[in-house]
Amino acid sequence: MVGGARRILSSVVASQLDTHAKYGGVVPELASREHLRAIVPVVAEALAQAGCGYSGLGAVAVTSGPGLVGSLLVGLTFAKALSFAHNLPLIAVNHIEGHIHAVMLEAESTGRPVEFPALALVVSGGHTHLFEVREGPHYRLLGKTRDDAAGEAFDKVAKLLGFGYPGGPVIDRLAPHGDPHAVRFTLARMKGNPLDFSFSGLKTAVLRWTQQRDLTAEIEARRALLRSNPRPSAEDWLAVTPPATLGLLASFQRTVIEELLRRASVCAGQIAARSLLVSGGVACNSGLRAAARALPLACPVHFPSPGLSTDNAAMIAAAAFGKLERGELSDYALMARANLPLA
Amino acid sequence: MSARAVETGSEEETIALGREIGRSLGRRAVVLLTGELGAGKTTLAKGIIQGLGAASADDVTSPTFTLIHEFGGDTKVYHIDLYRIERLSEALSLGLEELLDRDAVVLVEWGERFPALWPASRVEVRLAARDDETRIVTVTGA
Repeated sequence: MVGGARRILSSVVASQLDTHAKYGGVVPELASREHLRAIVPVVAEALAQAGCGYSGLGAVAVTSGPGLVGSLLVGLTFAKALSFAHNLPLIAVNHIEGHIHAVMLEAESTGRPVEFPALALVVSGGHTHLFEVREGPHYRLLGKTRDDAAGEAFDKVAKLLGFGYPGGPVIDRLAPHGDPHAVRFTLARMKGNPLDFSFSGLKTAVLRWTQQRDLTAEIEARRALLRSNPRPSAEDWLAVTPPATLGLLASFQRTVIEELLRRASVCAGQIAARSLLVSGGVACNSGLRAAARALPLACPVHFPSPGLSTDNAAMIAAAAFGKLERGELSDYALMARANLPLA
Repeated sequence: MSARAVETGSEEETIALGREIGRSLGRRAVVLLTGELGAGKTTLAKGIIQGLGAASADDVTSPTFTLIHEFGGDTKVYHIDLYRIERLSEALSLGLEELLDRDAVVLVEWGERFPALWPASRVEVRLAARDDETRIVTVTGA
């Protein structure tokens, strides 16, 4: 729930991360059955934490895409019912627009509002996009991944090396212990839009690196560690990860960050950005945060707090606020769109 | 069932082969794309989806995280990735049976782990990396 002064009143996320870790990458959060199970208690909890009932609501915001249709439909149907039963305006929000507004909301509440034009780097397990954001708001797509998302590359590399799921936080914690220049990845030059990303080649290069060595024993040691302790500490991991592998992790993370920020810098210059926003799950990566803050940019860099970096409903409400003011409301014909574009 | 093996020497050649496969498919087909991590399954899918006229190759990205991508107008294409799916019950909860009932081309990565899901009449494309660039692509059932 997001309130009057664009303040977060409550934010509840039904995360099945523990279930994920247990099964090494299970995905019930995307299955409609799990959404159906979670939606009523999650909404009730959000209302309770905000200390208000349905009668205290001014509007209902809902994600209409992009995403899995089955999961989107659960939210849409629930939101329509809520809107109809309590006579509340219904507002459709694009998931990616939500990620961008998570940063804008927090920037405003900390007294450093985002200035336009802004460059938004949305980087998560499923998305890697660069958007120009102008007042309105108007969005223009400047670049996107042509294969794997950055977060997906983190997850696949971690799984390959026996670090479990999700992969981003583990690699981020261990990267400072390795030599970031130990492995040089040669990435293929891309044809077409030079602002597009590609992480598939990097993932394959990591796979080749592991195939050229015998890592069976250390990978098995890490899997055994995960079986005995689902939440190992950095020290636990370091005990089963030799320097060569730490160097690989550090080099991999450095390469992903360089790929992201090189294009972001070019875009920021091209559009004369007055702010850079970084959002999505990968925005939690401390290496990315440090490197983005160290960029020689002419504008400030905004990150959301970790809780608002990953998927959440507060960001959808935040994006809906402006739409409510502008009267951009939806009717009950609103449909789920699996591949809804933002721009 | 006839099988043919083709060697591609670059990502572009793999996409070109995918276009050829895509053009040979009808409006309704199930294509399993198999091969280890980095073998080129999504790359081949780019070509197939382009060959079907459903999207440009650059707009086809990995569905690993999002599980299902939809493309197309007249010819609908569902690009599915079951890499993160561990159990048959999870695969079923994605509504795959319903998608398979539609007039659509269904491309599936990592689908070989759930053989019970797929119709007998299907195309199987196996990709194997010979080195950094070269891929051996074996097509069965086309």
